Amino acid sequence: MTEKIIQIESLTGGYDGSVVLQNVSMDVFKGEVLVIVGRSGCGKSTITRYMVGLQKPYSGRILFDGIDIWSSSKALDSARRRWGVLFQSGALLGNYTVIENVMLPLKEFTNLNRVEMMDVALSKLEVVGMEHAAFENPLEISGGMQKRAGLARAMVLDPEVLFFDEPSAGLDPVTSAELDETILSVNRSLGTTLVIVTHELPSIFAISDRVIMLDPDEQGIIATGSARDLADNSEDPRVRAFFGRKIGE
Amino acid sequence: MKGEIVHDGDIISFTGRFNIADMREVTSSLEGITASETILNFTNCKSIDASIAARIWSVSEAKKRKGISLLCQSMNTDIQKTFARFRAIDNRSIAPAPKRTLLYNFEDIGDRVLATWDTVSGLLSFTAQAFRALFSGKVRGPITAYYMEQSGVMAVPIVIALNWLMGVVLGYQAGYQMKQFGGELFMPALLAYSICWEIGPMMTAVLVAGRSGSAFAAEIGTMKVRQEIDALEVMGFNLYGYVVTPKMIALLIVMPLLVTVANFAGMAGGLAAGGFFLKMPSAVYIAEVRKALIPFDLYWGVVKSFFYSTIISVTGSYMGMRVRGGPAAVGKATTSAVVVSIFLVILVDALLSLVFVHLRPGLSL
Repeated sequence: MTEKIIQIESLTGGYDGSVVLQNVSMDVFKGEVLVIVGRSGCGKSTITRYMVGLQKPYSGRILFDGIDIWSSSKALDSARRRWGVLFQSGALLGNYTVIENVMLPLKEFTNLNRVEMMDVALSKLEVVGMEHAAFENPLEISGGMQKRAGLARAMVLDPEVLFFDEPSAGLDPVTSAELDETILSVNRSLGTTLVIVTHELPSIFAISDRVIMLDPDEQGIIATGSARDLADNSEDPRVRAFFGRKIGE
Repeated sequence: MKGEIVHDGDIISFTGRFNIADMREVTSSLEGITASETILNFTNCKSIDASIAARIWSVSEAKKRKGISLLCQSMNTDIQKTFARFRAIDNRSIAPAPKRTLLYNFEDIGDRVLATWDTVSGLLSFTAQAFRALFSGKVRGPITAYYMEQSGVMAVPIVIALNWLMGVVLGYQAGYQMKQFGGELFMPALLAYSICWEIGPMMTAVLVAGRSGSAFAAEIGTMKVRQEIDALEVMGFNLYGYVVTPKMIALLIVMPLLVTVANFAGMAGGLAAGGFFLKMPSAVYIAEVRKALIPFDLYWGVVKSFFYSTIISVTGSYMGMRVRGGPAAVGKATTSAVVVSIFLVILVDALLSLVFVHLRPGLSL
């Protein structure tokens, strides 16, 4: 796990001219489960938006497999074929069924016929335990199911990296733990690199290989390491306060 | 220790702990302030709860608008944290809102001009991108057909009804005036020209802007709020090709048809008005219309409709794409889409009218 898949070099960025992240550098290694944590407003989701090319940084570079994603539109397009993103809400298109949502990337970027696409989509829905709801309207299923369907769509093209923006948000502990298991199984069975933004302690301890902690006052990274190591050995009061919470707080 | 408020000239000192039980006392103390600058001293204040902080904040905001500034001093860390939730207040001052001086008014005008320019340049750039996608991307048949049905087929009844009524009104009013001079026989020609040159295309454009332009903005705005647009973007979809072009193609196909339907409905309205109010036989009305109109008059409405359909589809999509925040922003985008579309339609119509008089055979100023 030493080969870098994503490198962020001196990134500065934010919204509408305001700075949220200042001079941030970090790497994501192939095959790892990297969890990004921190207080609200620290830039967790923002840094993910930069990594997936939804925003261009004020300064600094984001390299995907050694290539600056903003160097050309071709570089960004080719990188986009190699990652998948699960948004907080699942972000399924409401005017399509669940399986049509999962088939969207296949229709756009492959030459498969409809039957083949349905087979692939069903296989991905089966991985996340959603094959029974394939023909449901996404707006009529539960939040947890929407996220699972969103995960199936994110992984339908077998991406090398999967990004998750607060996958447990709004879910009960049992559903959240089930989703964690599903996420982890994707990493363990397919070797997919996972970058997860969350502040759910049980999830952090359950699935992370490495944790990066951001802080809104520092506008950048204040700690890196394994969750257990940060929880037990960090001397930074902000890190201790974060990991010192009782589970469920 | 219960909270206590002491007034000493332009200084109001808070002592002890304040909570919701002290709300009335805090309110009456603050609302009575009339001096242009008053210090709120928290040296001996142990704590305030969020409700008191919110009350101080809202009263100070109201005072600020009247040019009265409140300066908060010597707050302990806990009080600062409580106030920090209401960002306008810190340990230094609450600056009064800028007075509406002449310079302020100029700045205000400048800000509005810049915002308008931002919208115009954004819209132009968006239009260019939409056309690029239109000519380079693949046609998405099923989605385009869906929008053709929604914007075209479903709009036919209202387009016919509205234009027929316009024809009746115009026919009656024109006929009534002309009859006084014995010129009611000219009513069919006048009405046909009005409908085909202006009323038919314009009323159709206004209707489509209201029905479809707003729907496009609301649909895309909701997709933005639900992160669906972000999802499409990170999946590598060309947003213009996927979200905008089907709407554009659909309107480019259905608008000319709607305008043609509108023209005939309008003239049928004139026929009804002629028969009912002027006792003009249908054959006479139709003969007069055929004598007046040339094919160019019908084609002209079609030409205009291409401009209008581009304006409506692109403006609706652009306003939807600009949505940031929550559902309220979707409502604003919908309103903007309709207002801006109709404004641009009328602007383009005025420009096309200048061209029209030079192009139409048999018409010269």
